[in-house]
Amino acid sequence: MDLQEYFSLVFSDYTLRTITLGTAILGAVTGMLGSFAVLRKQSLLGDAISHAALPGIAIAFLITGAKDSNTLLLGALVSGLLGTFWIRGIITKTHLKSDTALGLILSLFFGFGMLLLTFIQKQPNANQAGLDKYLFGQAATLVESDVWLMAIVTGLCLFVLLLFWKEFKILLFDKDYAKTLGFNTKTIDILITSFIVLAIVLGLQTVGVVLMSAMLLAPAAAARQWTNSLSKMVFLAAVFGAFSGVFGTAISSSQNNLSTGPVIVLVASVFVIFSFIFSPSRGLLFRQIRFIANRRDLEQQKTLAFMYHIAETHDNISHPHTIKILNNFQGFTRKTLQKLVDKEYVVLDGTMWSLTQKGFDKASNLYNQQAKEDE
Amino acid sequence: MSNAQIEIQLIASLVAIACAIPGTFLVLRKMAMISDAISHSILPGIVVGFFITQDLNSPLLILLAALTGVITVVLVERIQKTGLVKEDTAIGLVFPALFSIGVIMIAKNANDVHLDVDAVLLGELAFAPFDRLFISGTDVGPKSLWIIGSILVITVGLLIAFFKELKVSTFDAGLAASLGFSPALIHYGLMTVSSVTTVGAFDAVGAILVVALMIAPAASAYLLTTDLKKMLGLAIVFGVLSAISGYWFAHWLDASIAGSITTMLGVLFLLVYLFAPSKGLIAVMYREKQQRIEVSLLTFLLHLKNHNEETERHVNHLNEHINWQKVRSKTVLDLALKNNMIVIDNKIVSLTEKGDEFTSQAIDYIITNEDAQIEDMKDDFFLFRG
Repeated sequence: MDLQEYFSLVFSDYTLRTITLGTAILGAVTGMLGSFAVLRKQSLLGDAISHAALPGIAIAFLITGAKDSNTLLLGALVSGLLGTFWIRGIITKTHLKSDTALGLILSLFFGFGMLLLTFIQKQPNANQAGLDKYLFGQAATLVESDVWLMAIVTGLCLFVLLLFWKEFKILLFDKDYAKTLGFNTKTIDILITSFIVLAIVLGLQTVGVVLMSAMLLAPAAAARQWTNSLSKMVFLAAVFGAFSGVFGTAISSSQNNLSTGPVIVLVASVFVIFSFIFSPSRGLLFRQIRFIANRRDLEQQKTLAFMYHIAETHDNISHPHTIKILNNFQGFTRKTLQKLVDKEYVVLDGTMWSLTQKGFDKASNLYNQQAKEDE
Repeated sequence: MSNAQIEIQLIASLVAIACAIPGTFLVLRKMAMISDAISHSILPGIVVGFFITQDLNSPLLILLAALTGVITVVLVERIQKTGLVKEDTAIGLVFPALFSIGVIMIAKNANDVHLDVDAVLLGELAFAPFDRLFISGTDVGPKSLWIIGSILVITVGLLIAFFKELKVSTFDAGLAASLGFSPALIHYGLMTVSSVTTVGAFDAVGAILVVALMIAPAASAYLLTTDLKKMLGLAIVFGVLSAISGYWFAHWLDASIAGSITTMLGVLFLLVYLFAPSKGLIAVMYREKQQRIEVSLLTFLLHLKNHNEETERHVNHLNEHINWQKVRSKTVLDLALKNNMIVIDNKIVSLTEKGDEFTSQAIDYIITNEDAQIEDMKDDFFLFRG
């Protein structure tokens, strides 16, 4: 199936429509909440939570013995929250740093989860097959009720986000100020963290434990490059996330043997790379262009200043000089000279140059004017 | 115990030691999450290496994969240096992308690669004794034992040779640089050792559980000591202990050895986290409670010193004046009595000479706020904490 065929089938084929819708919604909600994680410098929390959710899935299965995805996700939610609060406990109560706490919870919970999974696999229960789909996710297993669940959670999330927008924003950028204003920062903190955990748990079935953190980070990191406004960033991240979901699903279903999770992550990574390079205000490309333009400007000014100091020693400022004396001067090229001519600062006559009145005035005010502009 | 069982435990212990050494420095340098990133992103290196060598235990493959690990670190640093995102975001962006590439490479070539993703995550320690190394026809033991053994020897050699440099650059990077040790060299050296260890251990315990073996013993040890040598020793002991107990736990449960080793590490960390003598959760909470009572005592004594009127110092009025609950006022009152700070005469509380002196010093302390003083003060007055 090629891409074209895919897009014609999206609207008619039930499975494809469900999966596409599911990944799109998932991308949108993770992008939205991921913006907060990235801005709160908790980028790796998502990684830790998604790994920490694994034992919850296994335990939920051990208790109920059924593979109902809602029960399993509930288990994942509980265990993810437990991991999050343990991380917080380690950071606040001991001298271990946040990176150690994250790494600890991530690996210990995951290892315990793997132990339980291998233990379950040995059980004489025919139902157990397929639990390991939570490791890498299998978008193909999404059914309509899963998509509904995602949509409901996204709606709830959006509602809470709008309701507490002001609180979230102030907590994000100035926690101490929020405290002095009398907001209960602890509750807001727990609220937003819980929603991040919820979003991660929702994605486990589709993208899997291992790659879920990228779903949270990549759209937000990409969106951050395009804007300095929180609301725009959240919106853009949601859009990027949704598009990564759709494109990822499209690409993976158009080829054999491609699991959806990794492809979605790669598509999101492409968004990030594109944003890093081509964002107009922060992007690397435009930054480099601005850098070169500034340097050229500076060199031109230096040349002009050098000429001015020569012209100063003569009564007639337009007294011609040979170009040769400029040769030892760094930053001088024929091109910069031509530019000065174009600006009517300098007149060229064969191998001789002379400063015009306009150029002289400009040069004498060169550093003053800059000082004025800086003010 | 059969021969294979001994060999498995030996491999697991060697892996634990090899991981604990770089792990200790990663934890101290606040770079624990880098080990997570490396362990994920070596996957494409392993897959490419496997295409070239067709042998999971070849030294070339280990080098290639370790190179991918170092590339990850460089990439993270490059992205961070652009200032577009913070360091943790950079880590979180790089490794899932590389890991995804690895997973897709495996999936696309599933037919000709004897490498499945489960093995990448979990390792196959149980099968390690069956892949044996033959030197000119004689059986000299399992291949992975030799691999992890040589990695361990190199790690220990480097540790002994550069211990001083590592120590200085870990605790005072500025001093290390001014003494002439190149911080970059030590940094990338440590990263290379971590990558090589991760790849070597990968075969035995799997990509993600290497992280547990690196961080958990070091973190547990860090809660128990502040001496680098003791911390290294403790981390090694914890690692080996969990490796062996984890093996037997897995044997009993008939489940993944790597998962069970990690679970043991988790139990160990939980115990240390709760019960570590001075930095454990219980010790910290107890200390916080004590400090709360001490502060209350001080507040109470200051209140007494400030008021000469008898109505203010009546026992029954105290809790409404300082706004405390009954139980708390009672505790503080008893404590002050036991310390001979106050006398209660006809239900009127007044400071003793000792209490008066103590309070004056406490005021001095609060005004000058020099940290060392309060500890001396406690000794001077032999504060009984109840």
